[in-house]
Amino acid sequence: MAEETYPINIWINEERLEKLQAAGLASMTKEVLAGLKVLAVPNTAEQRDKVLKLFTMAKYDAATTRSIENMPRQVKDQIFDLIIKKKSLDVMSDFIKSVEK
Amino acid sequence: MEMIGHGGKEIVERILPKDAAIKRVAEMKAAKVKELDVRLQMATEVIDIAYGFFSPLEGFMTKADVESVCNNMLLADGKTVWSIPIVFDISEEELKKSGIKQYDEVLLTYTGNPFAIFDVTDIYTLDKKEVAMKVYGTTEDKHPGVKRTYQYQDKFLGGKITLLNPPKINEPFTRFWLTPKQMRERFKEKGWEMIINHQTRNVPHTGHEWLMKGAYLGAYGSMMVDKPRGGVLVNAIIGSKRPGDYIDEAIILCQEAQGKHGYFREDTFLTTCSLWDMRYAGPREAIFHACLRTNLGCTHHMFGRDHAGVGTYYDPYDAHRIFNKVPEGSLGIKPIFNLDWWFCPVCDEVTYMGLCGHKDKKASFSGTLIRSIIQDGVKPPRRIFRPEVFDMIMECAEKYGFGNAFVTEDYLKNRQPVFTIGPLK
Repeated sequence: MAEETYPINIWINEERLEKLQAAGLASMTKEVLAGLKVLAVPNTAEQRDKVLKLFTMAKYDAATTRSIENMPRQVKDQIFDLIIKKKSLDVMSDFIKSVEK
Repeated sequence: MEMIGHGGKEIVERILPKDAAIKRVAEMKAAKVKELDVRLQMATEVIDIAYGFFSPLEGFMTKADVESVCNNMLLADGKTVWSIPIVFDISEEELKKSGIKQYDEVLLTYTGNPFAIFDVTDIYTLDKKEVAMKVYGTTEDKHPGVKRTYQYQDKFLGGKITLLNPPKINEPFTRFWLTPKQMRERFKEKGWEMIINHQTRNVPHTGHEWLMKGAYLGAYGSMMVDKPRGGVLVNAIIGSKRPGDYIDEAIILCQEAQGKHGYFREDTFLTTCSLWDMRYAGPREAIFHACLRTNLGCTHHMFGRDHAGVGTYYDPYDAHRIFNKVPEGSLGIKPIFNLDWWFCPVCDEVTYMGLCGHKDKKASFSGTLIRSIIQDGVKPPRRIFRPEVFDMIMECAEKYGFGNAFVTEDYLKNRQPVFTIGPLK
């Protein structure tokens, strides 16, 4: 059984896609609904718990999507910007640290 | 015009004409009749009762009705199907302070203005845990209907209601609020013989759209197609909200957008709303919805997967199966049961569980997924979400939702009320 990644789903519009392409990360997206692309940003179980604690409106949807949902758009924007900056999906540790500061 | 509602009874509006109401209030004030100011929950149901949305109920339930509803899913007459108690609660302290006794005539006020006459014929208590178990199938207060039941005060008043002061329905809901009588008049104007109700508390994605279209095609049957003889009525439930729900304004305006932008012909589509606080009672709420929409004059009612359910309290198709337990002929509306609609990447279309053979490849319209996309402000492909509907959500978020299409504490605190009761003059 694959290890759970507790992802935060960042949905991809044209603007985000262009940035991903420029960063060479476009292939990290996957198609979910009729061509709609999503970038699933992985978290460890520990990171998931920290995210849920830091952003109290967020919830982990264990029943349907198995992802962290209800994250504010601005927060997702910050995570996305960090992905572009680091050219990697492995950003949650840095992101959490920056919020905890 | 045919005005027969649920239980085969004529829809009666319990409303005093304005002049008579002004006179009656003056008399009641002079006689120092007891007064009670009601909260939004109760005011909503006073309005529903007075206009016949809850026909044949003419008031709040007596203990005999509540017990019969809980035990047998029937009113105390022993023959009319009814599934959810409609009760008026009051605290012991308030009851004592007001001095209300059985057979008193009480003047109800809302936001301080005269509102309705309540002829109290019964004062009683209820075992709330027992009510919760029988209506909701659980006693867990995590269930929103159970929570509401537990939050009721300890005493209940039963008796008839007469509205004195009609509500002013505020924008943008004004054009969507039609009383059962007005609804039937509108159907007549449209020439509809078949009216399929779509119950909703969501903004529509194409899964919903196809649910309605499928029901329309199925129900139209062998009727002649020379002119539109039927249509889909979207009757959105507008009522108490929980953080994270879609805001009411987005629900109603996005539903309307489907007709405005041609995804349904305007002569086969109508968007309206009813005032009701969802109880999330699953199967029992399905029966209630059938009664409500019978009163609106609908001939068919759609019931999808997990209709009016919450969490994992009900099996996804309990709300279908409960109709087998209702005596034949006791509901004046025909249920249309639906399985899931999903997007199939192989068929490359929105399709139906009962038809599509690519179940392992399906992309479900999970509410959480759609919400996640909307929260990101990302416009989904038009096969999933109509662009005009998406634009309307964003507009509503700005105009009514304080920047959010979903209910927030800010929205709950500062939103414009759906209706107001002004001074009676």
